Amino acid sequence: MPLLDLKGVRVEFSGFVALSDLDFAVEKGELRCLIGPNGAGKTTALDVICGKVQAVAGRVVYAGHDIGRLQEHQVSRLGIARKFQVPSVFRELSVRNNLDVAYSKRPGVFRNLGNWRRADVDDGLAKLAEFVGLKEQFNQSAGALSHGQTQWLEIAMLLAQDAELILMDEPTAGMTAQETHKTAELLNRLKGRHTIVVVEHDMGFIKEVADVISVMHQGRLLAEGTVAEIERHPEVKSAYLGSGGIHGA
Amino acid sequence: MSTRHSSRAWIYGYIAVCVVMLALPLFVSDGYLLNKFARYIIFGILSLALCLSWGYAGILNLGQAVSFGLGSYCMAMALKLRTIPIQTGGGVPDFMSWNNVKTLPWFWEPFHSYAFAIFAGMAVPAILAFLLGWFVFRARVTGVYVAIITLAMLVVVNLLIIDAQSYTGGFNGITDLTTLKLFGIAFDAYSKATYYLAAFSLIAALLIGLAIIKSKTGLVMQAIRDDEMRVRYFGYDVAHYQNFAFCVSAAIAGFAGMLYTLVMEFASPTFLNVSISLSIVIWCAVGGRASLLGAALGAIVVTGVQGSLSDSPKFLDTWMLIMGALFIAVVLFLPKGLVSLIDIFEQRFRKQAAGGGGPLTPTALPAAAPAASELRQDEVG
Repeated sequence: MPLLDLKGVRVEFSGFVALSDLDFAVEKGELRCLIGPNGAGKTTALDVICGKVQAVAGRVVYAGHDIGRLQEHQVSRLGIARKFQVPSVFRELSVRNNLDVAYSKRPGVFRNLGNWRRADVDDGLAKLAEFVGLKEQFNQSAGALSHGQTQWLEIAMLLAQDAELILMDEPTAGMTAQETHKTAELLNRLKGRHTIVVVEHDMGFIKEVADVISVMHQGRLLAEGTVAEIERHPEVKSAYLGSGGIHGA
Repeated sequence: MSTRHSSRAWIYGYIAVCVVMLALPLFVSDGYLLNKFARYIIFGILSLALCLSWGYAGILNLGQAVSFGLGSYCMAMALKLRTIPIQTGGGVPDFMSWNNVKTLPWFWEPFHSYAFAIFAGMAVPAILAFLLGWFVFRARVTGVYVAIITLAMLVVVNLLIIDAQSYTGGFNGITDLTTLKLFGIAFDAYSKATYYLAAFSLIAALLIGLAIIKSKTGLVMQAIRDDEMRVRYFGYDVAHYQNFAFCVSAAIAGFAGMLYTLVMEFASPTFLNVSISLSIVIWCAVGGRASLLGAALGAIVVTGVQGSLSDSPKFLDTWMLIMGALFIAVVLFLPKGLVSLIDIFEQRFRKQAAGGGGPLTPTALPAAAPAASELRQDEVG
């Protein structure tokens, strides 16, 4: 049984059909790339998994739970993390505190009331910051970070959250080639430990990390397979027609 | 943000405020002045309460005076009941007999007990806040809409109290109260005892507030203030956190209201009018809404300056103008409030002490990814 299973999911935004009859399944431990032309519904697919939008039809099943009607925090507590396309960190908080918020094994108000900052947690968070190259900025406010650093902070926050399933929306957006490569390395290291779904445009990056690619088009799944299979796929070619093919997307 | 409170200048700031407050009666023996200072301190508590919800959780509560007023009425009801045999010769408080109320209404009964009254003074505002918060925060109402809803709530409660004249004293409020006696101490409005009660209450409120904002709950509250949506994806039920801040804030404001009744010797619907509610926001903003100490000091400074200006015949016509200029100056030059002066001074001092170049910190090579299991172990411990 797949860890994540979307069946016949349909999402509408006041009449506009963003997802129509989407079937999408991911096995545990897999790193899946989700690609498709603009407007294919990739981000909406992530949104419907993490509870940001709700489907009007179909089922979203995660680890045996029907999560289609759950709120964002309930989905998160089941072990699903989300990274947004626009890096969203808490700009007024320090890097350390951003990571502490993300490290959320016990999300209750009253349990956290007695939770004062402990040195051992601090240690783990400092290591995480060091890992993504933010050691110097550990006590600085996140608002002062550069764009690339903010992306890295958000990735570190996902690590702190330590979710079973991680949903990433264009993690390499706005990164330099070097930073993109570093991100690919990181994802490869997380492979197997976490199940990861990545929405991406950068084919070079996808080739570095992906085993299986799912291609979406007009709100439904168009094709699924390895990089080589997808590149030969005739329907994928026609879906990208006019945009210079899959590499130009 | 969090480092600022642990920095030394801030600890000195907290200690200095407490010491000055506690030492004041050694130099001031005039009851009228002590009463005035106690009032300022109570406003400090009220402002601190708003700081918890507005400054830390981003909930701009324009109905803070509801909590303040309800607390004030709870105390006044208890004190009024003790005057019955003397003023009216039995049965009901004087204003009720003027309104032809023959038997004491059921909700007045439990206020024969001081313990209940003091509990209710905090619980009633907190429960009301909880009910309102439950609907508002569940529905994910944010920003200016919260301000409008809380303001509407204030107007409604104010009208209800004025309208139910036979049970609440209407426009006149509840007057002619007895003096609170607890543990053998009489809390006369002009006594040192009452002043100290207010001062220790402010210190207690500061400590409770600090305990909350230094905990992880406080951290999540600040994260919600920054980006409410993002917090949800880490598994926190944002509505719970918002409602918690809202209720604690209401309970503290209710406590301040009880003290205010002791100091003013009456309770009145003017305690929960719009102008007090807006004043609290101004105190908070002038002092610094991102700091508990700042918010409390803001209230003390603003009401203090206001009081001395309006008392002196020299400024009788112009004091409003001077206050306005002061607000504009603070908003323009110290957008983070008066307490940001502490940070500015500290930075100056540090620069001088460092003498220019700070020590170079060695850059370590990035280590391996800390395994998730490492963090998990912390969790167990």
